[in-house]
Amino acid sequence: MKSVNGRLKGWLLFSPWIITFAVFWLFPLVYSFILSLTNYRLMSSDISWVGFENYIRLFSDVDFVMALRNTAIFVIGTIPFTTIIALSLAMLLNDKFRGRTFFRATYFMPTITSMVVIALIFTNLYARGGYLHLLADMIGLAPPPNGFLLSTKTALASIMAMDIWMASGYYMLLFLGGLQTIPEELYEAAKISGATRWQQFRYVTLPMLKPVMLFVVVINSIKSFQVFVEIFVMTKGGPLNSTLTAVYFVYESGLRKFDFGYASAAAYILFVIIGIISILQFRFFKTGWTA
Amino acid sequence: MALIQVKVKQVICFKVDLGKGSFYCQIMLKYIILAIGMLSLLMVGCGEEKQEKITITWWHFWTDANIKPVIQGIIKDFEAQNPGITIDLVDLTWADGHDKIAIAFSSGSGPDIVELGSDWVSEFSTTGHLCDITDRVDSIKSRYLMWGPAGWQDKIYAFPWVLGTRVLFTNTDLLTRAGYDADFIPHTWPEFYNACRKMNQIDGSTFGFGSNSAERHRLYKKFLPFLWANRGEILSSDQKSCRLNTPAAHEALEFYLRLCETGLTDTQRRLEDAFLEGRIGFIISGDWLLKRIEREKADINFNTMLIPGPDGPVSSRSFAGGEYLAINNECQHKNEALALIRHISSPSNQLRFCLANRTANPSSKVAAADTNFLSQPHFNTFIRQMQTAQMPPVHPRWVYIEAIIETAIEKALYDAKPIATILDEACREIEEILNE
Repeated sequence: MKSVNGRLKGWLLFSPWIITFAVFWLFPLVYSFILSLTNYRLMSSDISWVGFENYIRLFSDVDFVMALRNTAIFVIGTIPFTTIIALSLAMLLNDKFRGRTFFRATYFMPTITSMVVIALIFTNLYARGGYLHLLADMIGLAPPPNGFLLSTKTALASIMAMDIWMASGYYMLLFLGGLQTIPEELYEAAKISGATRWQQFRYVTLPMLKPVMLFVVVINSIKSFQVFVEIFVMTKGGPLNSTLTAVYFVYESGLRKFDFGYASAAAYILFVIIGIISILQFRFFKTGWTA
Repeated sequence: MALIQVKVKQVICFKVDLGKGSFYCQIMLKYIILAIGMLSLLMVGCGEEKQEKITITWWHFWTDANIKPVIQGIIKDFEAQNPGITIDLVDLTWADGHDKIAIAFSSGSGPDIVELGSDWVSEFSTTGHLCDITDRVDSIKSRYLMWGPAGWQDKIYAFPWVLGTRVLFTNTDLLTRAGYDADFIPHTWPEFYNACRKMNQIDGSTFGFGSNSAERHRLYKKFLPFLWANRGEILSSDQKSCRLNTPAAHEALEFYLRLCETGLTDTQRRLEDAFLEGRIGFIISGDWLLKRIEREKADINFNTMLIPGPDGPVSSRSFAGGEYLAINNECQHKNEALALIRHISSPSNQLRFCLANRTANPSSKVAAADTNFLSQPHFNTFIRQMQTAQMPPVHPRWVYIEAIIETAIEKALYDAKPIATILDEACREIEEILNE
């Protein structure tokens, strides 16, 4: 009787999470998959089963293919830079020096600032006559005449650069936490063995940071695959779809065109891609990466 | 009622049983009957009270501190004239208002009255969410402008309330610096182009024309006035074919691109910033720019004029948009809702609203002819431009058509392909949608 009561209490204590999970995660997940197999449009009572037609249509939709391509460029182009910059900053700020707390706080500051605010500031910095545009002109980089965000060649790269600047502070903090858990004895042992600074980093720091590195890479990948706010505020996918990303495509299909079946199918494709990439990253860090 | 009968019977039985006490029981019976009577009256009264009190929910977008009190005042007047009706005013924002309306309608919890953008009416009416008011507005149609977007397939689903159009703004200081008189008005396309070109050549820091860049949901609004002015159109009148690959459309797009070469290409907001800084000669904008100039006390000498047509003012066209009031098909009090819409859009209330909003865009022809508008030169320009302003065709898949047009203009702006090819491709895509 006691154990039944105990189990009941356990379920009762778990219930807020279970209910939230079921209502806000599991149900939408299953429901959107069902929707992706229909031609459902918001406000329309005409709904019929279309099987995998939406998925087939998506792969012949040039906009969706473009969105996937841009998203892939965004992910590949931001993650290595963000990770390297974040780790470098963490290494620098792990040493004791005057003003260390100030630098830690300032590098972290972009993370606590609203993405909308940052995107608006950068929109002005990148525009014709904006500080970054003027700076590029001054140092002879020949920036696009109408600003970085109005050129098909530079728009996506500009948003990526902003994203790297913004995200590095957060991941720096995670690396900093990881660095502080590495026992000092390991470095002392390495020094006694005659290891150089690089060797200490290569054979002590990196292996010890493996769990943090996995977390940073996986979370950063997921966030990069889901890039939306920057696009929404700065370019709305333009010019000429050069900044159209997968989530922005889902938003346009779902909430502008109300084509919920099609938008759900696009969201599912992205979900599967993120899932596969995450699994591969886990496998790589478990077996492939012997730092 | 059965329960009452039983009780009455019980009292009668009681009377019989008591014999001598029948007098008291008769009094008791009287009281009971009286009490039942009063209770019934009370219940009937409550029922009437319930039927009389009506609440109408209105979702609107005017949250500005100068405007909302005017709307509340208009509502108060209506409530005073109709004591049984209460209006529940709900604020929406342009950022997510459309989504909220769509979700509310699809979940069956839409408001009684909703304010809709002109290009949203067909979207909601074709899905059966709006009430058909064709017969109810037939007698007053001639007194209001812009019924086009309010209808779909010969039926009317919304009432035009506040309209809006764009006119040409010019910086008169730059005009004089370019060698023109300050009151110069370009009437034809060649005059307009030459003025833009000369202003663009004043020095390295000034521009002739402020043209919109690849800015979604805005770019097409800047191109369409040139298309319409050149007697071009997007769709055929039966909406079975696309007319964007006609010579008229080709010429219009070519002219728009030539104008873009004489100035600054940027987003609307940044173009307006540059205009207020005195760096742009001509810009197409709406009445919000007038308000901004007034609010920011911008140090600029400017003039407003009709957007030039290819062969003079007669062919001047502009893009018109507007706010429409529609009744939810599920509304329980359609007569009262319509009465409220008529009250809101009456000439006097439109005038009240427009003067508070510092705009000149009433849908009521009587309000538009008011001296408040005609005596103010800039308002006058807007009123005149509205006479020839057009709205895009009404089609339930307009969002898709709009996206195709914008992509075509973007391709032309970015030299992606020859104009003829771009327009042919756009036409093919639009016709696929029309034939779905």
